Amino acid sequence: MIVKKGLIKKIAVAAAACCLAMTITSCGQTAQTSTAQESVTVGLLHSLTGSMAISEKAVSDAEKLAIAEINAAGGVLGKQISFIEEDGASDPSTFATKAEKLIDQDKVATVFGCWTSSSRKAVKPVFEDYNALLWYPVQYEGMEASKNIVYAGAAPNQQIVPAVEYLIEKGYKKFFLMGSDYVFPRTANMIIEAQVKAAGLEVVGVEYADMDQTDFAAIIAKIEAAKPDVILNTLNGSGNVSFFKQMSEKNYTSADYMTMSFSIAEEEVTAIGASLLTGHLVSWNYYQTTDTAKNKDFVAAYKSKFGESRVTSDPAEAAYINVYLWKAAVEKANSFDVAKVIEAVETGTISFDAPEGLVTLNGENHHLAKRVRIGEVSTDGLIYEISSSGTPVDPDPYLTTYDWAVAAGIQPLE
Amino acid sequence: MDMLTKPALNVVKKSRKGYHITFAVIALLLALSPFLIDGTSLVQFLGKCMCYAIVGIALDLIWGYTGMLSLGHGLWFCLGGYAMAMFLKLEGTGGKITDFMQTGGLDALPWFWTPFGSFPVTLALIIVIPAVFAGLVGFFVFRSRIKGVYFSIITQALTWAVYSLFMANSKYTGGNNGITDIASVFGKTKGEANRPNLLLLFFVTLAVLVLVYLLATYLTGRKFGKLLIAIRDGENRTYFSGYSVNSYKNFIYAVSAVLAAIAGALFVNFNGSITPTQMTIGYSITMVIWVAVGGRGTIIGAVIGAFFINLCEYNFSSGILVEAWQYIIGAIFCLTILLFKGGIVGIVRDNIPSLIRKIKERKKPAEKEAA
Repeated sequence: MIVKKGLIKKIAVAAAACCLAMTITSCGQTAQTSTAQESVTVGLLHSLTGSMAISEKAVSDAEKLAIAEINAAGGVLGKQISFIEEDGASDPSTFATKAEKLIDQDKVATVFGCWTSSSRKAVKPVFEDYNALLWYPVQYEGMEASKNIVYAGAAPNQQIVPAVEYLIEKGYKKFFLMGSDYVFPRTANMIIEAQVKAAGLEVVGVEYADMDQTDFAAIIAKIEAAKPDVILNTLNGSGNVSFFKQMSEKNYTSADYMTMSFSIAEEEVTAIGASLLTGHLVSWNYYQTTDTAKNKDFVAAYKSKFGESRVTSDPAEAAYINVYLWKAAVEKANSFDVAKVIEAVETGTISFDAPEGLVTLNGENHHLAKRVRIGEVSTDGLIYEISSSGTPVDPDPYLTTYDWAVAAGIQPLE
Repeated sequence: MDMLTKPALNVVKKSRKGYHITFAVIALLLALSPFLIDGTSLVQFLGKCMCYAIVGIALDLIWGYTGMLSLGHGLWFCLGGYAMAMFLKLEGTGGKITDFMQTGGLDALPWFWTPFGSFPVTLALIIVIPAVFAGLVGFFVFRSRIKGVYFSIITQALTWAVYSLFMANSKYTGGNNGITDIASVFGKTKGEANRPNLLLLFFVTLAVLVLVYLLATYLTGRKFGKLLIAIRDGENRTYFSGYSVNSYKNFIYAVSAVLAAIAGALFVNFNGSITPTQMTIGYSITMVIWVAVGGRGTIIGAVIGAFFINLCEYNFSSGILVEAWQYIIGAIFCLTILLFKGGIVGIVRDNIPSLIRKIKERKKPAEKEAA
């Protein structure tokens, strides 16, 4: 027994030593990639571990696809793009640490990354203080415009506001707001309430669920009591699975309670189950089914690179756009220097013929002008467009061009 | 310890000397590091590691010495962190309301934010809030003679409750985004241009780490420390020997909470933000892992563990290792608990002297033969 225990101990020490050795070698690897001369290095900063890893994989895959395509077509300014990937571990502080590492230690030309607002907010001062540039791919709650970030996802006026306009137009009168308890749903609901009230209609309930809540009986009871025409859903992640499952257990379909969701894209439909979501509405700028020639190529390339079962979604497409916009800005600046690239961005002339249609980078607020599409979930798990803004909508992250928003006091702090 | 035989006592004294020398070497390396390292990001990170080391020491005092396993030290870390972040945020806004308050519909600063406009008051509150809170919790918990796994569960529940409170009141706390976009007390620290500020912050933190280490070794090196160990190894016996066990436990718990809060307050300066993630149970358990892997009941082990694990995580950036790391750290933790109760420090302490002896013994016969 004693001998055995000693042996185990020795093996364990050896394993620990191996672990240490690996640490050291991984140091070496980082140094190697960053000293390569004929290529330009960019950083990818997403959660590879933790609760956000599943969502962020789709966007980092889209970024890698764009990088591979650009490299195959000759690179940027004659240089091939190589990338260093860092793990944000679903923790905002780790995001900040790793962002700093990418910028300062690895000296990357730019960084594509983040998903959650909390991670973006944690890295924002890092990018500002180093005067580096972050390309952010997800729709978010707005109220932000940093010189050192490009926001490729929808601002509220390109997703939430038009969705509510659509519902009002369709004659929905009683709105029920439901979301996860964090900043995006709270800000979204603040905007929706102001907008609905300005239209003379009624918000019949506002409910928040914990991030990992699985029991929606109480909220469903409140919905039944309030009898809304439509539920505006800003639940995030696993909450959606539980909510729609429990609604279907009561045999409620979109005919009984219509929902309009802001955080359910193709990936989430697959996770929740298309049968539970059939007929429900969502609002995005892009769907896998969006009918453009560019999108056919994008979907085909994405599937052939990452697997037939994978679906493309709005955030993945925005991440893909980001890499091409960076390329366009670098070529316009004729330099990889961040200050010059930001100057090029701020000319307001950077655009890209994206899978969702032509997008133009607004030089003032660093958001994109993009089309808004209301979609309906179909039985095949895909989302089909039922209404579109037709032309790109200019970004307005602070909602300053909406009278009702200004009247409700939704405006930037001075 | 009085019951130990003389040679055993010598070992204890020798190893303690070894600990001090090790710490001195670590502190010296840290002091030199900003001048040896290119760029500022790694210096920033070492700064954060020093804060982690302080939390490690705080945990070691109550777990390694007193035998109370707290699975919720993230709470104290965050109380200090948020207090400092509130001050720094108000510095940034010039005493006006913050962006998340505005989004939440407030138009005036909440009353409990106003004291954090003053630096001396903030410093005092960083210490007073956790001291009073931990003192109160400890008073009720220890008076009811709650110990062992029940104590761990209570610390977890408490942390979870405060975490939920911070998450739900986003207009007062910033919700899950936390308090972001803040500079340090010495101004901005990121980027080459702000290097002097960073160095100032770095050396202040190093000084605090050294002070905390000295305080911890002072506390544990005297009769008080022996009593803590006595409580760990035989609480009832200590109790029946006439010592007021509850007061000792309550005191060391409050000290530990305050040290963790100080670490949190320093951490915010480096990190530029504080989020409730630092308060989660998962993160609190990570802190315990630092101490376990480094070696509990030695103070220096907590420092080594905090640096070792965080530096590993920092360097695993991409590829298979990132995902594997979670399993590796889990395996290391299990092995440490099952086989190496002394952690890294224990392995070195138990094996190096005997190894030296072996080498000496091997040499001796060789010398004899030669003769």
